[in-house]
Amino acid sequence: MTQTFKLLLSASAAAVLATSAIADVKIGFIGSLSSDTGLSTLRGAEIAIEELNAAGGIMGGQKITMVTADTQEDVTEGIKAYEYLAETEEVDFIISGSIDDVSLGWLPRMQEYRIPTLDTWTSYIGIIDMVVEDPEGMAPYFMNIASDEALATLYISFGADVLKAKMGFESVVVLAEDTAFGGAITGLVTEALAPVAGIEVKDIITYDIGTVDFAPIFAKAEASGADFIYQVSSVNSQVVSSQYVKLQVPMAMTGVNVSALGMEYWEDTGGAGGGISTLSPVPSVGFELDPVSQGFVDTYQAKYDSRPVVPHFNGFNAYHGVKQAMAAAEAAGSFEAAAWAAEMEKQDLVLEKDGKLWLRYAFWGKDEVEEVTGRTYPHNARFDLTAPYEDAQPSMVVVQWNEDGSVGVVYPFEFATQDFTLPSWVPSK
Amino acid sequence: MNLRWYHFAAWGALIAAMLLMPRLVDLGLMGRGTLRTMIQACYLAMFAISWDVLSGRTGYISFGHPFLIGIGAYGTAILSKKFGVPVELSIPLAVLITMIGGLVVLLPALRIKGSYFALVTLAFMELMYQLVQVIRPDLTGGTRGLSGIKTLTRGAENGYMLAVSLMLAVALGCWLLMRTRFGTALWALGQNEEAVSGSGLSTIRLKAMAFLVSAFVAGLAGAFLVHYNGSLAPRAMFDINSVFTIIVAALIGGAGTILGPVLGAFFLTFLLEWLRPFLPGAERFLVYGAVALVLYMYQPKGIYAIIEGGLKRLWGRA
Repeated sequence: MTQTFKLLLSASAAAVLATSAIADVKIGFIGSLSSDTGLSTLRGAEIAIEELNAAGGIMGGQKITMVTADTQEDVTEGIKAYEYLAETEEVDFIISGSIDDVSLGWLPRMQEYRIPTLDTWTSYIGIIDMVVEDPEGMAPYFMNIASDEALATLYISFGADVLKAKMGFESVVVLAEDTAFGGAITGLVTEALAPVAGIEVKDIITYDIGTVDFAPIFAKAEASGADFIYQVSSVNSQVVSSQYVKLQVPMAMTGVNVSALGMEYWEDTGGAGGGISTLSPVPSVGFELDPVSQGFVDTYQAKYDSRPVVPHFNGFNAYHGVKQAMAAAEAAGSFEAAAWAAEMEKQDLVLEKDGKLWLRYAFWGKDEVEEVTGRTYPHNARFDLTAPYEDAQPSMVVVQWNEDGSVGVVYPFEFATQDFTLPSWVPSK
Repeated sequence: MNLRWYHFAAWGALIAAMLLMPRLVDLGLMGRGTLRTMIQACYLAMFAISWDVLSGRTGYISFGHPFLIGIGAYGTAILSKKFGVPVELSIPLAVLITMIGGLVVLLPALRIKGSYFALVTLAFMELMYQLVQVIRPDLTGGTRGLSGIKTLTRGAENGYMLAVSLMLAVALGCWLLMRTRFGTALWALGQNEEAVSGSGLSTIRLKAMAFLVSAFVAGLAGAFLVHYNGSLAPRAMFDINSVFTIIVAALIGGAGTILGPVLGAFFLTFLLEWLRPFLPGAERFLVYGAVALVLYMYQPKGIYAIIEGGLKRLWGRA
């Protein structure tokens, strides 16, 4: 009896020791658990983790687990969420699906805890500026979406190549929501539209995100005499779109409409969303996918049956980003910020379609200068602003929803699946 | 002031217990994240005390307290970040500006009260929200707010010691103040303003003092909070939810008691954090709301009254 007891005790002790010897790698998710964008990042990360674990784990067979911290898209909650992940859960790495304001809120905590962190949704150029100004303090931070400045720069090319050259538009009225995102995009676009694309900004109309009746706003836009409306909307964007369609506003409307970035857009607008076009990070709805990204979408759709039915661009960023972050840890031998960051900078995933570079998940080098903007983008996702896009994918594409509920890419031409068209009720210029 | 030995003993025990908290973390008796949660609770407690001095006592219900907190926060953030003013100077200056802001809120209180006053204060908050976004966005950071603001401490323990020291100083100071004739007069003002006026006291002067004290605490806490967070976003600062959190903390803890708002702030903050591992999404706010509602229905005078009743029963039996 005593021998059996000793044996059991030894076996238990051995099991405990073995378990503690192979500790788990813990990933923390920070973002909204109730938005399509937040869920896209979360699910993208979940699938990447499942695949990595199925392949035997990382760093000598360690399994990866994930804990979540909801930000409610609120800055204060975001700070608390980051603290929770860092101190209570003691995570090794954080994947973020946070919006701009929330990321800005928790960034000082990231600098303090020095936990490797990858942002998949926030595109605020100000954060990349912080990496430029304080490379050591911001070493653990990476953003694998093109910065908003790069998005806006290529959008201006769309203005010149399509809106001005093809459609003959000479002037614009900006219709922007009153948010941080709205302010930033409006500023970037309006500063460049006139000098670069030769399109005059007639007026800027700012509206409250709680607005439910857009009829007076559209009337004001019409009265401006501009050729088209440039819309900037990230909150309840489907309301603006559906009212534009229902009111049959006789001007084209393009710009940034975040609700149109997901496949739920058509359902959310009650089928009244045709004709709307929007700038979108890559890969967008209507964007043709390379085999690897298509495989991710297939797995996603087999696993999840609730919205978003197709992951938003940040879901792809999270899927590839988590794998790259784990590969960097494997190469560095740990998640120590400086060592991990040095390896993360080297990550380079090229995805091809029909023998052509289609998507590239890599980061700009510290001193590498982007030719069009003439500046550096350390720790920012690599992008290309000039055709034929041989170095990386374009920073953005313009997608357009058609009146039959289909959607396609209209710009850049190399990635276009359809032409930019005016809604049927809008007269040609 | 009518101070007794047990008042000193109770405050001494509270201060000692709060200052010893980091040692409990060292000993592994509390989780590492507890101190961070307590820091958030300390700042919420100061905001709730500030609201309590004004609204809990005088009956002038403010729905716009973030207006005062925002002045303190923006004041020191702009002075230190944009003009390079040392934090040692920017914080007192911000508090001073907040007190002037407190007098601005006083103006409508000279003519209106009740729900009208509450609505006017709400308008002050909304006005501030709009102003910081459009007036000199180069200074305020516009809709995106300010980041990269100098932080005063690094590490949970240092942040905790600063926050808890401030909170205890504010709580003790306000508690002592409310035990003076001034505190009694404020309470009377809340009960019957005409009677106070009839007794020969200047209600205007009393209200001005209450608004100044409230603004001082709001400005001080707002200024230190922004130097703790290192960033400032107008959407979070002037959100209606932040007003409700402050008011609920004061009411659920026990309005008009100073210690009640502290208890309420700690209860609410810890409740939310304890729920997080089990309900990571928005569901925890439902549970949080339900618990607060049940507690408030059980004892409208708050947690302070529950504890006080419990202690009296214990002493009665002894």
